[in-house]
Amino acid sequence: MEALFNIGAYEIQEYQQNRYPMFFLDVIEEARPGEYARGRKSFTYNEWYFPVHFADEPNVPGMIQIELLAQTFIMTFLTIPEHKGKKTAFLGMNNMRMRKKIVPGDTIVVEATLKSFKRGVATGYVEGRVGGEFALSADIKIGLPDMMREFIPKK
Amino acid sequence: MNNKEKYNNAFIVSFDVTEDQLAGLEYQGVPAWDSVGHMGLISEIEDAFDIQFETDDIVDFNSYEKGIELLKKYDVTVE
Repeated sequence: MEALFNIGAYEIQEYQQNRYPMFFLDVIEEARPGEYARGRKSFTYNEWYFPVHFADEPNVPGMIQIELLAQTFIMTFLTIPEHKGKKTAFLGMNNMRMRKKIVPGDTIVVEATLKSFKRGVATGYVEGRVGGEFALSADIKIGLPDMMREFIPKK
Repeated sequence: MNNKEKYNNAFIVSFDVTEDQLAGLEYQGVPAWDSVGHMGLISEIEDAFDIQFETDDIVDFNSYEKGIELLKKYDVTVE
């Protein structure tokens, strides 16, 4: 499958079902279906969570950083035509590391590599960098419930 | 970690249950063991034992005990 470049925020929402206020990507700079995706997000003070996290020291909540990793990662397999637009489900995350406070004005670039995709379960590695510096990484596992329903156990 | 510990750990990690809940546990016996949780469990077990289940075995895998029986097909003994 051919690589895709510069998929904008509106078009990304044709591939995945995350929506504001829980949609965090600005652009997918590159996606190689079934292999890799690189996404980017610039944080401005207008983000809805900065006034409350925290009023005197705004920074990006960890759960939003994790979601950003996931939203980039799912583009490694939702760009495969038969999976475009499907819902996804978080199955797990291991070896999570967070090393940087992300503040208004920062831009994060997230790279996601798909290591395995079978029977609707995708596993891979995701890493975010801010200004070229390591910010966070994790091994990640996400599923496609539509495909998983084909494997429901007999009662 | 022996095979029993690996097998139990897959359930504990996937469903957030304790070891004393495992005997007799069946599909949908805890809220987390739904269709999505099932595939998470299968994936954990495959990773733990470096095997790949056949589709029929995934569908047949409907309890803690049944899983032990099915694993014998893959030369994995849990005792």
